[in-house]
Parts: sequence; C-alpha cells; structure tokens
Amino acid sequence: MNAIAPSFPAHVQTGALSIRNLSKTYPLKGRPVPVLQGIDLDIRPGEFVSILGASGCGKSTLLRLIVGLDPDYQGQILLDGQPLNGPGLERGIVFQDHRLFPWMTLQQNIALALKNHDLGTAQKQRLVDEHIALVGLRGYEQAYPHQLSGGMAQRGAIARALVNKPKVLLLDEPFGALDALTRVRLQQELQRIWVQERCTVIMVTHDIEEALYLGDRVIVMEANPGRIGEQVQLELAHPRQRDTALLFQHKQRLLAQLVGH
Amino acid sequence: MKLRNLRGLLLPLLLIGAWELASRQDAAGAYAFVPLATIGDALVELLGNGELLVNLLASLARTSAGLALGIVGGVALGALMALSPLANRLVAPLFHALRQVPMLGWIPLIALWLGNGEASKLLIVSLAALYPMVLNTFEGLRQVDVRHREVGQVLALGRWQQLRLVLLPAALPSIATGVLQALAFAWVTAVGSELFLASGAGLGNLMMNAEAGARMEIIVICVLCIGLCGYLMTWLSTLLARRLLRWRPTR
Amino acid sequence: MSPFKALTWLVSPLALLALWAAVADAALFPANLLVPPLEVWRSFADLLATGELQEHLAGSLSRLSLGFAAGALAGLAFGTAMALSDTVEAYCAPLFHTLRQIPSIALIPMLVLLLGIDETFKVVIVAKTAFFPVALATVEGIRAIPRSHFEVAAVYRLRWPTLVARIALPAAVPAIVTGVRVALTRAWVVLVACELLAADSGLGQMIEMGRQMLRIDVVMVGVAITGVIGFALDFSLRRVERRLSGWQVAGR
Repeated sequence: MNAIAPSFPAHVQTGALSIRNLSKTYPLKGRPVPVLQGIDLDIRPGEFVSILGASGCGKSTLLRLIVGLDPDYQGQILLDGQPLNGPGLERGIVFQDHRLFPWMTLQQNIALALKNHDLGTAQKQRLVDEHIALVGLRGYEQAYPHQLSGGMAQRGAIARALVNKPKVLLLDEPFGALDALTRVRLQQELQRIWVQERCTVIMVTHDIEEALYLGDRVIVMEANPGRIGEQVQLELAHPRQRDTALLFQHKQRLLAQLVGH
Repeated sequence: MKLRNLRGLLLPLLLIGAWELASRQDAAGAYAFVPLATIGDALVELLGNGELLVNLLASLARTSAGLALGIVGGVALGALMALSPLANRLVAPLFHALRQVPMLGWIPLIALWLGNGEASKLLIVSLAALYPMVLNTFEGLRQVDVRHREVGQVLALGRWQQLRLVLLPAALPSIATGVLQALAFAWVTAVGSELFLASGAGLGNLMMNAEAGARMEIIVICVLCIGLCGYLMTWLSTLLARRLLRWRPTR
Repeated sequence: MSPFKALTWLVSPLALLALWAAVADAALFPANLLVPPLEVWRSFADLLATGELQEHLAGSLSRLSLGFAAGALAGLAFGTAMALSDTVEAYCAPLFHTLRQIPSIALIPMLVLLLGIDETFKVVIVAKTAFFPVALATVEGIRAIPRSHFEVAAVYRLRWPTLVARIALPAAVPAIVTGVRVALTRAWVVLVACELLAADSGLGQMIEMGRQMLRIDVVMVGVAITGVIGFALDFSLRRVERRLSGWQVAGR
C-alpha cells in the first residue's frame, strides 16, 4: 500500500474519488447543525477539481473528511472503490498555513513524510532532494521554517505533501495567506508541478480566478448547509494562460452569480 | 562614560567596607562580622586542604544525581498524565496533594524512615526536581498546537512516532523551562537537606560544622560558593537550552 | 462530568490511605515507624483539643505575616524605584542581581550566628525571601508596560506620584501579584525550614520535637498541616491572580 511507484505512467489510472450522499453535522449548543448535506461527487483519476465557495460553506470540512482527520460523518467516501479508514499516505494535504514543524529543518520536515515507507535511506534522501528541487527550494535544505518566507514555507509544505507520491492531493486554500504577487507565482508553479505529476487534486479556494486558472472542473459550493451548486467544466489544456477569453467569461459570470444579484 | 558604568560597584564596595568596619569595632563585632583578612585566610586554608572542593563536589554530585532522576521521572510522569486522561484522573489528585508540602518539610519524616544518609538526601533532591518537571512536561504536551498534531496524523505516524517526533519536540521549550526550575530547586534542596541531615560531605554540612564552631568566615565562603555555583549552573543550562531550541524564531 | 468520572479523582488518595492502613495493620514495620492513619487522626484531634496546634500555628503565621509584609512592601518600593529610575538602577542593579542568586536556606547558618535563634532571625529571613521575588516581579511588570502608556502620561504632564499610583502600579499589578504569590509560598517553605532548625515554637518546631521523640504521628500531622497552609496561601492568591487577569482581558 505504501510502496511508491518509481515513476508515473503517462496515463493515470488510480486516484478516483467517489463521494456518496455525504453529510456532516456539528453540535452547537446541544443541537446538531448541518454543515454538509447530501454531497455526491465523482472525481476522475488525475483530474484537477477546484471547489469554490465563501468562507463558512463547509468546503474545508469536506477536505478534512476526505483526508481522514474527522471520522464522524454520514455517507461514503471511496478511493478507487475502497472506503476510507483514517488518514493514509495515499492522500496528501496542504493547509492554508504551511504547518511545517518549527523544530525540524526543511529537509527533515519533508523526510518525515517518508518515515513509514519501506525505502532505503539513500532512496529516501534522493526523493527528498528531488522534491526540494521540484518546488524550487534547492539551497534551503538546512533552513528552519522561521528562516523561510511565507511563500517558501508553503512550497516546502507542497513538497512534503508530494514526496509520498499521493494518489490524491488536497489543497485547503493553499495560497490564501500569501501576498498577491507570491500567490500568482505559486499558482503557476503548482500548475507546472501538477502537469509533471498528474495526481488527482482537489483544491478548495475562495479565489475565483485561482479556481478557474487551475481547475479542470470548478465546483461552486453553497452554504448553510454546505452543498454542491453549479459545476463548470473547463475544456482547456494545461499549462494555461491567465488571460484566456474563456476563463475571463467564466470569471465574470461566476462573479456576478456569487457576489451580485 | 566608563566611569558611569562603575556606579554599580559603589554599593557593593560600601557594603564590604561597612562589614570590615563593623568587624573592627569590638570583640563582638569581630565575632559576628569577621574581618576580610580572616575570610581570605580561611579561603586559602579551605582550598589548601581540599575541604572546599570535596564538599562542593559532594553537593554537586547529589544535585546532579537527584536532578537526573527527577528529570527522567518527571518527564515520564508528566507525559503519562498529559496523554492518558485515565492516568491523569488517577495520579493527579495524589500528585497535587503531595506537592503542597514544602520540600524541606518532608525531611523529618523521610529521616525517620530512611535515616540520615545519602538515600534520604537523594530522595528529597529528586522530589524537588520532579515537581517542576511533571508540571512543565504536562503543560507543554497539553498545549501542543492542534495543527501540528493533525500533520502527524495526516502523515500516518504511529502513536510512538507522534510522541517522539511531534509532541515531545513541541513541548521541548516548556520542558526546558522545567529543567531550569528543577535545577534551581535541586541545588537549594541539596544544600538544605545537608543542613538538616548532618552526615556525609556537602557544603551544607561544612556550614553546619562552621556554625557549631562559630566560624563565620567559613560560612561566608560557603554562602558565596553556593550563590556562585547556582548562578553558573543556571547560566550553563540556559546556554544549552538556547542551543537545543535554536529552531525557535529569535525576536 | 459524570458522577463516575468525578469519583475517579478520589481513587488514588483513597487507595493510598487503604494501603497505609493495611500495611500498618499487618505490622510489617515497627509501630513507631508506621503509625496507622486512625492514630494520626487521633493525635491531630488531641493536639487540637489541648490547643497546642493552634499555638504553634499562631506562632508560625504571625512570623510569616510580619516578615512577609515587611519584605513584600520593601520589594514593591524598591522594584518600582529601580524600574522607573535609571539612576537607581545603575547603582543598585548589580548588587540586587548578585544577592538574588543566594538561596535563603543557605543564609540560615549565617543569620543564626549574627542574630541568634530568636524571632528577629526568622522575621528577617522571611522578609529577605519575600523581598526578591516581589522586587523582581515589580521591575519586570513595570518594564513590560507599553511605552504608549507613559507617553500619555507625558502628554498630560502627570507628576511623579500620579504616574506611579495611576499608571505604573495598576498596569503592573497582574505581574506583581504573581510575584507576591511566588514570594509567599517560598517564604512559607523557608519559615518552616527555619523552625525545623532553630525555634522554640511554631509548626516546624512541633515537627522537629515529634521527630526527636520518635512521635511519627505528630510529625505527620505537622507535615500535613504545612501542606494545607501552603496550598491555602497559593490557592487564594491564584484566585486573586485569575480575577485580575480576567479584568485585564475584559479591559482590552
């Protein structure tokens, strides 16, 4: 289960995620309040899905359920047909805050993700080095997180999530805490990395442009309770240009729909 | 500018001067406030016959042994209480009840049970070091950022790996604070227990003998020695802690 | 919390008590080394009935209050002066920080030689023990006050006494209370230690007499009372602390 394929086949076959009638409630003052209701979703292997929604619509909760941090839900989440049971290395996640351990160097942080793999030390080292290079942090291997800028730390978090070669990569507003210029740069980087790795990606965001620029499909989530609204299929090859007319049209339409009446 | 920095020396010098003056007033003064020259002579004597070194080393050995036991036991007990709610409910009431008794208050009871020897002293010093270690380890582990715990789960680390790689490092600043407190308590308690349990070597024993023989100069030397050693040990541990915690952002 | 969970808190103290009673009952150790719990309780009742315990307690507590009041007030005054005046700091800080390193316990033999074993010695050592933590907490508490507070004072041209009474002390109160709490618990420890070593009355002396007469029941009563007093002092000041910090958060 934990073995890492040396390289991905050109055509990805694993990493299909099926969500069946998923619901989740939180107790609030003793009464259950629905956060997610009747979510049905099928994600193809290697697809990049953006989930777009306002804060509080339950989109981060959805990711926490998929990654296995919260076992308390109704419905089913299947990965390649198998029901999920707790966290596992075939799913990686990047949070809004980098969450690198401050007491470990960048290299140690990334190597930690490989802790439970049956690989030799040299092989692990090679994987860590490759992924540090992949996110463009060569030369910072021995740096502690507090010595890195916000954008660099977030690249480190992406490397940590990818070093396991997960079938599914979950991104929880990964660039939400960064300044606008760094955010744009990292979106491009992420696109380049994804084109190279081609794992299934689910990215949660409230940035319309980001959702459209990266996603093969954009799913709008509605709030109270969180449920799936409109879905936009983007038949546009990666890597993409930001100023494509198609993306611009979708942006105007989604903006009007989400903000204005 | 240089002269202004010397202002801090004025009071200590005045104090020493007053001491010397008091010692020269009359026989009673010389008895209570021994002249500086006598203190100097006594220092030479104690250094020459090795008495100071032997007793100092005995106290230091007692402190280190007790500190080591207290740290190991305290981290283990604190971790157990922080990680297992059941263990916490079972152990915490007893722990907090026993901890209320002042350390030196235990001495008569322990002396009755274990005698005046090394075992009693070691037990008292270890207990003195144990309390701050348990409290700080417990607090440190309880306050581990939930966001860091979640990363441990997401990376599918085992329970033991989470403790070793996530929880304990995250609690390390708090544990280091505990060690600094434990060190200070252990040192004071070691000397204190030597004052009470008058057998064997130690700075406290040296002082008690000097008190019996009214040798104020020896007491003064011991007091200075205790203060200096306490300061040096704290300073060294602070350096060590800073090295261990170098991953923390410096502000 | 469920009633069952609340009961688990009692398990370990009760288990210890039961073990103690069982071992004493089985007479595994000589009776003068391990007195059964009931007998300790009876000694406690006796000491209480004869008024002996109250007498010792009164002796200890009056020493504690006298010495602590003197030491804490001096510490407060000195700490304030050192925090607000660069001159006072320049002259006093090195001596202060040097003397601070010397543990009170280590001073016992010296003070016994200087002052004898009378009341003065105990009050002085309690005052010394209280002085340093309070002074240090006051200095640090006042230093931690944001500059802007003092700038407001400068803008309104507040005089020195007003500055101290209205700004410096109130803003530093939570830190000072913490210092007072630490000082009080330490003063209690040191006082009991002094009484153990040299006294004709007080809780410590009662314990020491019990030890010399091999009355382990009296020793245990004394140790337990010492713990209860220490806990009560710490607990009450913790409540003050919590109330004050609550006020501080609410005021923000």
